[in-house]
Amino acid sequence: MSEHDHPLESMPEPALGPERPFDTGSEALTEALRSSFWIVKIVMFLLLIVFLASGFFTVEPQEQAMIIRLGRPVGVGQKALLGPGLHWSFPYPIDEYVKVPISAIQRVSSSVGWYATTPEQELAGTEEASLPITYPLNPLQDGYVLTADRNIVHTRATLTYHISDPVTYVFNFVNASNTVQNTLDNALIYAASTFNVDDILTRDVAGFKEAVRKRVIEMVTQQNLGIEVEECLVQSRPPRQLRDPFDSVLKATLTRQKLLEDAHSYEAQVASRAGADARSAVNFAESDRSRLVNETKSQSERFNDLLPKFQLNPWLFAQQRLTETLGRVLTNAQDKIFLTEAAGGAGGTAGNQKELRVLLNREPPKQNREETKP
Amino acid sequence: MKRNPLILAIGILLILIVGLLLFVFQVRKSEVVVVTTFGKPTRDLSEPGPHLKWPWPIESVHRFDQRVQNFEDRLTEGLTQDSFNVLASVFVGWKITDPKAFFPKFAGTAEPIAEAEKVMDRMLSNAKSAVIGKHTLFEFLSPSTGENKFVDIEKEILTVMQSQVRANNYGLEVEFLGIKKLGLPQSVTTSVFERMQAERKRLANQSQYEGEAEAQTIRAEAERKAAVVLADAGARATEIRGKGEAEAAKFLSVFQQNPELANFIFRLSALEDSLKDRSTLIFDQHTPPFDLFSGVSTNLLKK
Repeated sequence: MSEHDHPLESMPEPALGPERPFDTGSEALTEALRSSFWIVKIVMFLLLIVFLASGFFTVEPQEQAMIIRLGRPVGVGQKALLGPGLHWSFPYPIDEYVKVPISAIQRVSSSVGWYATTPEQELAGTEEASLPITYPLNPLQDGYVLTADRNIVHTRATLTYHISDPVTYVFNFVNASNTVQNTLDNALIYAASTFNVDDILTRDVAGFKEAVRKRVIEMVTQQNLGIEVEECLVQSRPPRQLRDPFDSVLKATLTRQKLLEDAHSYEAQVASRAGADARSAVNFAESDRSRLVNETKSQSERFNDLLPKFQLNPWLFAQQRLTETLGRVLTNAQDKIFLTEAAGGAGGTAGNQKELRVLLNREPPKQNREETKP
Repeated sequence: MKRNPLILAIGILLILIVGLLLFVFQVRKSEVVVVTTFGKPTRDLSEPGPHLKWPWPIESVHRFDQRVQNFEDRLTEGLTQDSFNVLASVFVGWKITDPKAFFPKFAGTAEPIAEAEKVMDRMLSNAKSAVIGKHTLFEFLSPSTGENKFVDIEKEILTVMQSQVRANNYGLEVEFLGIKKLGLPQSVTTSVFERMQAERKRLANQSQYEGEAEAQTIRAEAERKAAVVLADAGARATEIRGKGEAEAAKFLSVFQQNPELANFIFRLSALEDSLKDRSTLIFDQHTPPFDLFSGVSTNLLKK
């Protein structure tokens, strides 16, 4: 419909032209030419729109884009990056856009150093946990690293980094992430070649990780990769062929720790017991001392009291004290048995001899008391 | 109709566009371009942006990626100076630096980059085995404080590579190089395992013995310390008791006034103390005060 409208509106313009006196035949021809010319115009107009519209492009969430204008990237550093969404650039050949499949954080894992296994096997736990010692490592399939003490150990690293200079990252390297991976592999091998097997596995895990990280940073700076290393995780494991020997060392280490702990607790126990014993010995001595002194003192005081009374009549005094004391003793004594000598000795006949039996260590005493009392 | 300015503009634009397409070409930042005049390389351009040229067939444009290529070679075996077989593979970062030199050597092939890498692969194997042969295994593997020459070895391989590439004028440059994989021949790994096993055994035993010995030392030391503490305490206790006895002896002069009475009193109190609780006493009639029963022990009754 619109095509039809335009020619009608434009009719008066050619009517003013010099071709006015032409006959109807040529007029019809002119008419036809005009309408076809209009069609060409519209097609061109549409083409222009299509041309300009072709400059629109979308960037998906997991990617970013850069525009190259006449061969040169637009923007420097992070500013060159276009985030997810709809963007427009001049169409080719003025502008071109390059999509970069990068998210904020990149992650690469080392490709050497670990035995042949798949993540699925690892997750499912179906990977071989141990192998016979005679099972060799195939250098083409199984990864491993050689340590400073010329041992074999498995280790792998995961590096996270972000792209600090996307222009360099994209336009200076064919495959920068491969280069990062190679660098990580190299760092792993280099670090392992300077560490002993026990340091890598147990004694200095953090030091080993730091050595890998340091080497990666050093190398990417040297290569001018345009990335910044965020984190480097390293995982190491003894060869599966040597699982049991390595476990036994670990066990021996634990046993040793246990032995030392036991010894230390024994040490503490002995020390505290000795301390307590020593204190109580001193305390006993102190109390012995004060008791002896006090007793002697009180006895001497009592002696001083008694001496004048004694001097009045020594014999009577002695008898009185003795009887008094015996009386007290007898009152306190549980069992008192009185035997007349005449019953045994004075009578003189064997038949009349009495025998006295005393049960020692009577416990409990209540029963016996009743028996002996009557 | 021919004087229509719009049509004129469009016509000029079209001619311009065709002209631009014929005479101008772009160099992208990632590219280097070699311009050949009747097939002979005459110019190379690495500056990104638009450039002028004569239209085909006079001049034609050949584009090459000038970004750093990442190349990893195969794992090859080399013999160290001290006769150990080691396997090594390296990765190199290289790029085309002189497209005019690169062009005649590799551009004839379908994939010039791959072709160049094939050449480099050969050079790398030679360079690797040459450099490995100059070093001992200890220089590959030893603590960083020791004679570790890992970095130097990499540098040497790189230097050899760079000089060979330059000597052959391939128009490319090796930017960096690193060892990607270092291994031992398959048969050697089992003997390494055996050695490691023996080492583990030794370590386990050592750890156990050391632990036992250390624990023994700790116990013995603890007992020694305890004995010292107890001996000190015993000495102190004796000293305290001695002091007490010395203090008590001061009262001796009091008893000295009548030793017989003192002795009597002591005995009485000892008797009383010893028969304090739960004792059984057996008497006959001669023991006072039971002698009263026999009626003879008192003079009062006799009289």
